[in-house]
Amino acid sequence: MKLKMTKKTKNISYSKARKQYLRKIKKDKVWVLFGQIAIFVCFLGLWQLFADFGVIDAFFFSSPSRIVSTIIDLAKGGNLWIHIWTSLYETIIGFIIATLLGVIIAILLWWSEKLRRIMEPYLIILNSLPKIALGPMIILWVGSGTGATIVMCVLICIVITTISMLNAFISCDSDKLLLMKSMHANKFQILFKLILPNALPDFISVLKINVGMSWVGTIMGEYLSSKAGLGYLINYGSQILKLDIVMASITLLCILAAGMYLLVSPFEKRYKK
Amino acid sequence: MTNLLEFKNVKYFYQTKESEINALDDISFSIKERDFSSIVGPSGCGKTTILSLTAGLLVPSDGEIILNGKPIQKNDSRIGYMFQRDHLFEWRTIWQNIILGLELQKMNKNPENLAFAEELLKKYDLYNFKNKKPRQLSGGMRQRVALIRTLVLEPELLLLDEPFSALDFQTRLKVCDDVYDIIKSEKKTALLVTHDISEALSMSDKIIILTKRPSHVKDIVDISFEGASPLAKREDKEFGKYFEMIWRNLV
Repeated sequence: MKLKMTKKTKNISYSKARKQYLRKIKKDKVWVLFGQIAIFVCFLGLWQLFADFGVIDAFFFSSPSRIVSTIIDLAKGGNLWIHIWTSLYETIIGFIIATLLGVIIAILLWWSEKLRRIMEPYLIILNSLPKIALGPMIILWVGSGTGATIVMCVLICIVITTISMLNAFISCDSDKLLLMKSMHANKFQILFKLILPNALPDFISVLKINVGMSWVGTIMGEYLSSKAGLGYLINYGSQILKLDIVMASITLLCILAAGMYLLVSPFEKRYKK
Repeated sequence: MTNLLEFKNVKYFYQTKESEINALDDISFSIKERDFSSIVGPSGCGKTTILSLTAGLLVPSDGEIILNGKPIQKNDSRIGYMFQRDHLFEWRTIWQNIILGLELQKMNKNPENLAFAEELLKKYDLYNFKNKKPRQLSGGMRQRVALIRTLVLEPELLLLDEPFSALDFQTRLKVCDDVYDIIKSEKKTALLVTHDISEALSMSDKIIILTKRPSHVKDIVDISFEGASPLAKREDKEFGKYFEMIWRNLV
């Protein structure tokens, strides 16, 4: 009861400086939001106006209204959902495989220092190799289409996942390891009770990076060879000189990538200090 | 009382790519049961090496270390280790941190052990923080949790590796008192290494002074004060005399 009372009086007796400070925070927040919306509206508005008055050629630059009507047309045609689903499917499967495999490889490399030292030069080579160079071989090996795209997506994400997670594992405080050993932890216990939970914040960073990277992989894979997907649609649109299709696909891509990022970000808030 | 820990002519060599380093050259001393002993020495004299050897994390190159009549084994379970920093796991609550050792040794289903852990928490005013995360506690409280985490496993000997050096001076004096109280009331034997002479003086019954590397025991000083707590000891008249004696021995 007493505690409640003091809390209440505290509320009333905010100092002038405190009130000013709180007001400033609120004001800044409003301004940031306003700025974000203003850029969006201005960008689209000017684009539309310039296109309508012929300042830019809408054939090459498209316009917001043309993008919207293209998307509606595509949706009516029924193919749009196939393209979106294909890309989304490839990205999510690639993302999951790459993240899981990358973490497992990192665990194996953490487990054996010798293996780590043996593999080090190969990891460096794989990391610096532009994975797109492997494109033609991937098509020959797994055939064109969804499979090839997923492989490309995995290749792009997996090396960076492995390297980041391995770094997180081996940078664990040596005294913490000693503590675990002094309490007779075996290697499995050290892995599951110290190394993995300790690397959780790094894992979340990797997830965020992989959201972006897996979309790169998917679009690159679809450019190489595909019969469906947003990457295919972009490629197709540019070949038949229908820039509206290209722009519409890019717009959808933005929305999907942002959506996936938003799905990952709650984890960040929860687990990152 | 009997000797709990005995170092008999212990030698230790570090192997590095460049050379073999003679860290400990013939260390012999003994510690009585329920005594609080400290090892002081110039930096790099191998204080931490002595703790690692005692804990069974390292094996002596020569000589013997005997605990309670039996030689030290690899990762000896009779030893509790307390580090410079508390190393509480941020992803675990205070309670989960405290039973970490029990969990690792698959004793966390044993009601006796759990009751003991709970009792320690209650006794040392941490019970209300049971479900809090470590970051919600002050530095001093965290160090107390770290000590209880070791005590839960009921070690015969506690090793303290400069456990207060990461704390600011005010907290340090307070935590020093707390830890001393806990160790004494749980009737534990403790071996502290530190470079801080006054800290060693304020807590110990016996101080072992080491020389520079390759280190051997230069002197062993028995300390007796009127004061009960470390803080009270710091105010004792004899404190300055002891301090000077040990300091002269170090240089």
